[in-house]
Amino acid sequence: MEIKQTAIAGTLESSDIQIMLSKGQSGIQIDLESDVKKQFGDQINAVITETLKKFGIDHVKVKALDKGALDCVIKARTIAAAQRALKTADQPAWEVL
Amino acid sequence: MYESIVDLNLNDAKVRTKWQAFLKSLGIANFSDREVDKIDFTIGIYNGDELVATGSAAGNVLKYVGVCNKGVTTGSRFNAIVGELVNRLFQQQVFHIFVFTKKKYSESFQHIGFEQLGDTDVAAFLEMGGPNIHDYLNDLLKVPNQQYQQIGAVVMNANPFTLGHRYLVEKAAKENDFVYVFVVSANTSLFSADERLQLVREGLSDLDNVVVVAGGDYMVSYATFPAYFLPDNVTATDYQTALDARVFKIQIAPALHITTRYVGSEPLSKTTNQYNQALKRELPPDVQVVEVPRKQDQTGAVITATRVRKAIKAGDLSNIIESLPSSTYDFIKENLHELQARITKGMTIDGN
Repeated sequence: MEIKQTAIAGTLESSDIQIMLSKGQSGIQIDLESDVKKQFGDQINAVITETLKKFGIDHVKVKALDKGALDCVIKARTIAAAQRALKTADQPAWEVL
Repeated sequence: MYESIVDLNLNDAKVRTKWQAFLKSLGIANFSDREVDKIDFTIGIYNGDELVATGSAAGNVLKYVGVCNKGVTTGSRFNAIVGELVNRLFQQQVFHIFVFTKKKYSESFQHIGFEQLGDTDVAAFLEMGGPNIHDYLNDLLKVPNQQYQQIGAVVMNANPFTLGHRYLVEKAAKENDFVYVFVVSANTSLFSADERLQLVREGLSDLDNVVVVAGGDYMVSYATFPAYFLPDNVTATDYQTALDARVFKIQIAPALHITTRYVGSEPLSKTTNQYNQALKRELPPDVQVVEVPRKQDQTGAVITATRVRKAIKAGDLSNIIESLPSSTYDFIKENLHELQARITKGMTIDGN
């Protein structure tokens, strides 16, 4: 699937994560900023990557600003950003959930 | 504690007074029309009756961000305000956002996803979203083994392109293996950004080692930098020109291996001369600045785009034909009425 437009989801509140997706050419490139990157960076990247793959997104630039989000939040924000980026926000992809 | 973000209507005198008083208490004192009129929307957080945080957006630039951290976790209100501004701009399909701020706040912005493009003693310039400066630089044409070549650069507004501009580029092309000509993209001139770019391309099309590119958001027309947050003793022009020069030095030049920048000497415009001085102060030793004396016409007068614009206004092109390449002259001749109409509508032809 192609990213049709840059999209964002999430806030910078504590316990949330803001995910921004924009067009990319070389795989899923994640630029993660997090105060707990050392401890949970790999896990956060894994959740984002896995969720994007379920949408069939292979090439995308991801900017993730984590404020201590749990996996379920990371997944939810990634799904929202992906659907906005694919312009499919009006057809929720239930099977991905 | 949850605090809700509300819209502030600055046209409401009561709201505006409160907003100004709050920002003044944080050291922002410039509320000139030039700065405030450009604001598209303003948001704020109240604690009871008291304004405790605010931020505004003007186009894709965040402005007048001010936060009081009394009684709350440091950073939480700042994150809420900037996060909301960013979210709203994204909803308006604005995905590339800039902020000019006091140097001491740069880190706060970097903490929430902004990247610093350049800074001076008093100010910093940051961006977020995309396409960002790395995308911009990646997309520019490169030559093989660029790092081993002698690369020059010229930045011009070219409003419009004259033989004076061409003279400057010819000199650069002679002295370098490859030359980038950046045309300022800000759309505030008599000739539109597209027209200026096209005329520069046509006027230089015979030079093989010259590539003409749009300056994008990074060869900022320095006059458009907001300056409201500066202390009184720093003049806006000093900071604007210095910041512009730093962005060139830190971001543009290293990525493209540019080692020399050419500027035209500036006997007439004070602002442009100040800009040249700032470049000479900021760019060396990484980038050499070569100031080339202005080309003169047969009568000994220097060729300037200002003179060309005045001739357009007067409708008399006979005096400028020798200052222009045929591509620019033909364009003006064909579009004379349209250009004059723009001047009549209020487009200023002085300045740069």
